[in-house]
Amino acid sequence: MTRAEFLTRLKRGLAGMPAAQIADIVADYEAHFNDAQEAGRSESEVAAALGEPERLAREQRAEQGVRRWEETKNPSAAAGAIFAVVGLGAIDIIFLLPLLMGVLGTLFAFFMAAIGIFVAGGVVTTVGPFAGPPGGPAVAFLLGIGLMAGATALAAVTTLLTIGLVNGLIWYGRLHYRLLKPAIETQV
Amino acid sequence: MTEAIEVQLKKGVLALCVLALLSKADSYAYEIASKLAKDIDMGEGTIYPLMRRMQSDGQVETYLVESQSGPPRKYYRLTEAGRASFTAQKAEWAAFTSAVENILGAAA
Repeated sequence: MTRAEFLTRLKRGLAGMPAAQIADIVADYEAHFNDAQEAGRSESEVAAALGEPERLAREQRAEQGVRRWEETKNPSAAAGAIFAVVGLGAIDIIFLLPLLMGVLGTLFAFFMAAIGIFVAGGVVTTVGPFAGPPGGPAVAFLLGIGLMAGATALAAVTTLLTIGLVNGLIWYGRLHYRLLKPAIETQV
Repeated sequence: MTEAIEVQLKKGVLALCVLALLSKADSYAYEIASKLAKDIDMGEGTIYPLMRRMQSDGQVETYLVESQSGPPRKYYRLTEAGRASFTAQKAEWAAFTSAVENILGAAA
């Protein structure tokens, strides 16, 4: 592979990322080729040692996805990070999918339950005191407040679990493949 | 199996090696990559994602140095946080390896 071919394939792999970042990354590899040339190495030798440009591009994308997740903990960043890391081939999605669906389903159910309990608590608080409840209006009011507080706590715990799950996936994905694949492949 | 262990080991120490090299002297990516490729046999293209990550984590920072041939070169140096992280990781590494060596010695 020539230098030009390597860079073209790299750029193609990076397409869609912010232009400034693409320029930065490409400049790094261009400098690498320059330095290697000074050291007397051929373009094809350097390209082979660098590894497959598509894979390097995927790694850079994954890193960027993870950074965005670390900066903003929102669902779209989480999805982006997971897909980018999965794109590395680090997480075997076929194997993991049933497990992941189960866990996500459970978390979703927790969220729904939290919302349901919160609404129920709201109803008990507002309507309860006028419905002539056993124990008097104050009890119904307090019970409603209690339900809402419980629901909020449940939602908070579920959120923490979800964040932990996403971080765990990212950690696993990185641990698995990060940065060393070319080293293994050239050894074999 | 041996290969899997080797890969896991290298992966774990890669960032530590980069910190160690930079703690001795500022350097540019090609120099770091070729040292690590030679000594611990890692893919040299892999240094770039790692350097970007360390930079965004605030462990290293960059500056440009004019070179006689070609465009200016991007040098990396450790930040204070990078230096602190190196000290901590080095101590962890020393404790870990001596524990493993004890076990290996006991088994022999």
